[in-house]
Amino acid sequence: MKKLFRGLLLIGTLAGAVVILRSYLGKSESPGEEAVQLVFDDGSTRSLTSKSVEGQEFTDIARKVLEIGV
Amino acid sequence: MAENDTANTGAAAEGDLDRLLGDLQALSGDIESCAVLSSDGELLYSSHGSGVERDRVTAMLGALAGLASRAARDKGHERPAQVKISTEAGHLLMVSLEDGATLVATTAAEARSGLVLYDMRNARSEISKAIQGGTQS
Repeated sequence: MKKLFRGLLLIGTLAGAVVILRSYLGKSESPGEEAVQLVFDDGSTRSLTSKSVEGQEFTDIARKVLEIGV
Repeated sequence: MAENDTANTGAAAEGDLDRLLGDLQALSGDIESCAVLSSDGELLYSSHGSGVERDRVTAMLGALAGLASRAARDKGHERPAQVKISTEAGHLLMVSLEDGATLVATTAAEARSGLVLYDMRNARSEISKAIQGGTQS
């Protein structure tokens, strides 16, 4: 009974780790993905995707700047 | 004479900026180009020489700084401490300096942008001092 409980605990821990890892990798930005992240002095952040109008304004200008450099 | 002193101090500040941004690029090898934009939209330093491209860059960076300020105000802040814009062509990174100026850098898409931002933040105070040295004249 004790052995079975240990086994279940191990499986549960592994499943939890997989879920956390998948969630982390899903959130992390893949190269080439368009996104805007603003960080403020108090540590808070604001993220905009290029699907939003505001985010698209940023990425449209940034693409042109990246083309010619600063 | 006073005009000469002003010109000399301004040139010294410009020289300081050249040196500091050269050091930053040497330290952070992922930086492809960098610039400093003053609070009133003047391009204080750029990898570009004078000419059409420099004018275009000034206008576009001014527009980005304006967008960043607007997005910050929506969240109750005056302006962001840093901005990272990721596109398929690379990252455009902006770090706010004292007195409303902005340090801007571009990197390739696969660059370690977090490390570049760290180096930019570390260079902030020296760059701000160099700008103030130029504007106090």
